[in-house]
Amino acid sequence: MNNIYAALELGTTRTVLAIGEAETGGRLKVTCHAETPSAGVRKSQILNIQDATQSIRSVLREIERKQEASGAKITIGNAFLVVSGQHVRADPFSAPVQVEGARVTAEDMEAAIRAAHSMPTSRDRELLDIVEQDYVLDSMGGIPSPKGMAGRLLRLNTLHVHGDRNRIQDARTAADAAHLEIRDPLFATTCAAEAVLEDHERKNGVLLIDLGGGSTGYAVYSDGYLAAMEVIGVGGDHVTNDIAHAFQTTNTQAEGLKIREASATVGGDDGASARVRVDPGENTLLDNRTISRRALNVVVNARLLELFTVIRERLEELDLIHRLHAGVVLVGGGARMRNIEALAEQAFGASVRPGRPIHVDGLEDEPFAPSYAAIAGALLYAHRNYEEKSILDGLLGRFFSR
Amino acid sequence: MKSDSPMLLIGIGTAGCAIARGVGRAFGEDIRCVLVDTDATSGEAGGDFVLIGGDRLSGRGAGGNIVAGRLAAEVSIRMIDDHLEDVRLAVIVTALGGGTGGGATLEAAKHLAAHGIPSVVFATTPFVFEGDDRQRNSRGVMTMIEDAANATFFLPLDKLIGDTDNMADALRRAVDTVASGVTLFWRLVEKPGYIRLDTERLRHLLAGAGRGRFAAVTVQGPGRAAEAVDRLMRSEMLAASSGPVKSALCGILAGDDLLLSEVGTVADGVRNAFGGLSFDLATVNDEATFSGRLSVVVMLFEAGTRAEGGEPASDSVMGSRRRRAPKGVLGVGPSGRGRFKNAEPTVWRDEDLDIPTFIRKNLSLDF
Repeated sequence: MNNIYAALELGTTRTVLAIGEAETGGRLKVTCHAETPSAGVRKSQILNIQDATQSIRSVLREIERKQEASGAKITIGNAFLVVSGQHVRADPFSAPVQVEGARVTAEDMEAAIRAAHSMPTSRDRELLDIVEQDYVLDSMGGIPSPKGMAGRLLRLNTLHVHGDRNRIQDARTAADAAHLEIRDPLFATTCAAEAVLEDHERKNGVLLIDLGGGSTGYAVYSDGYLAAMEVIGVGGDHVTNDIAHAFQTTNTQAEGLKIREASATVGGDDGASARVRVDPGENTLLDNRTISRRALNVVVNARLLELFTVIRERLEELDLIHRLHAGVVLVGGGARMRNIEALAEQAFGASVRPGRPIHVDGLEDEPFAPSYAAIAGALLYAHRNYEEKSILDGLLGRFFSR
Repeated sequence: MKSDSPMLLIGIGTAGCAIARGVGRAFGEDIRCVLVDTDATSGEAGGDFVLIGGDRLSGRGAGGNIVAGRLAAEVSIRMIDDHLEDVRLAVIVTALGGGTGGGATLEAAKHLAAHGIPSVVFATTPFVFEGDDRQRNSRGVMTMIEDAANATFFLPLDKLIGDTDNMADALRRAVDTVASGVTLFWRLVEKPGYIRLDTERLRHLLAGAGRGRFAAVTVQGPGRAAEAVDRLMRSEMLAASSGPVKSALCGILAGDDLLLSEVGTVADGVRNAFGGLSFDLATVNDEATFSGRLSVVVMLFEAGTRAEGGEPASDSVMGSRRRRAPKGVLGVGPSGRGRFKNAEPTVWRDEDLDIPTFIRKNLSLDF
């Protein structure tokens, strides 16, 4: 029962829970995962704790049902929390240290690391990660390892990734009410990168876009390290909302149109019918309603192109847009959208691929594995960076509450 | 008591309502009319008023956003159905450039067509000084209205009102001018004449007429028929031609003093001036209104042409230039945020990204 980790993603449209088990050779296998529709969450932030708690209870029941069906029986007591939302930000930080001798030693590098980690986090923010970038020796930057190099002042550039303490606490509160202990919050986009990116992509320059339901995170890797990240408060839920608004449908109908019929690009629908039927749901008076496929695609295309344009303009401001030699990798539920890769290719002028969690096993049969990249990456990140702790810990409260 | 005429006048948008009221006043009798707007204040002056987009826009207007106006109408236009009983022809008066005039007129024309009611649209287009946004709004919707309605008359305010007009009075005068022209058209159909133009004949004439040009003049005194022809020939409203005239309708309105020779002068003059494969003439004899005066209404149709400046829908929004909304003006009210109305907004370059993109970018969804 050791070397088993659980991760919870309380998203805007779905709640996902996954269990990962360490394998020989250092890899990790997702042994079970479950998802249920989310409630009480908007734009990756909890608006109703009771509804969010119910979503967590549902996914716990679902994963336990799956476990029982497969003959295993693990009752999850704690999990890492996969965090996203536009409240998540990254601030660069570095602090110089004196090189003790004529050349940089391992101790000097340790001192630089300690200094870079020393930035206090403000009371309203919760630290999610400190991402180490490149070393700077005197005025020369871009050094992956300065050991043995001559110099006087050494510093390590870092990105301090942090989120709104209250927003994260809300998720903890919801999980607590479902008797699930939250170990640590982990940032969804960098977790996804952990699971899907190849080392050569990080070196050559790659943009990872995590298209979530309520928000979209992106991370740019260049020269092997994380160069920039941001979360934009626009996600697949906005596409649904736009469709509902444009065609006067319910959100359920709009979601159905988005999933079944919509394309991220306009035109090129040869063979597809010009009209798209709106699922009437319970409203039988509207059972013959159709809308223009082209109009539907215009609405979706406009939203997604705008989202990509925002990211592109941010990368232009950061002078990173021309460093994406390894292209763009799409993960998250939004990456399921038909022709999303073609649109991303147009928007970024780079090759685009879906991000399957290649560094994690167990999702090979999953019809759309890129939507599990963040939670798989969270399990992998936990496996690589955290002390082992039985996921049974914390279960007693939940066990006795039933 | 309301008229039981088979012709219904529909005023759409704030200016459209004003024009329709002007027609009612000028006609001097009750006319069958309904006023439609997203702005509740348009209903304060009385008349049969239908507020559209109530839930969405809360009676505050469409904020100059065509899509908001169109969506408001799409939801609420059925509210005019009570006024459609036995209607054989609908005449819509409106002003383009704002949100409701353009957006709701399109939906209204579609709705009427779905009920089998032909529609004629008289729409003013904005003054140049009103700015690029309103000009773009107007151009963007003209083609769509043209496709939805049976006949359309786009009346450029810059041509309707002379350069020497008082700036402060220009908009009011524009409303009055359009109203008087439409009133003459109304009389042509509603009043008896020697050569009768009734609703059924008008329905036939206007079916598929497409884009037209419209002008009306009123003259009096000796040589009034020739003067009327001369003024029509010089009218900028009839001069802008993008194609040959396929058909023409000429209406003469006068009192008991109308001479047969005057009818001939006007008919020959209009026919010779504008040509047209098909020419129809109608007269109205209304002593009480036109004693001593002669009014001539001319409609020219260029079947198959498109509205001037009408922009075809592009294959993709790729490559469209990013248009930044003015600070604080997003085109739609808070309801545009939909399910995100209580969530922390996402703002990028002064734009609220929670508001649907197609609304902020004024994209046409009429396919």
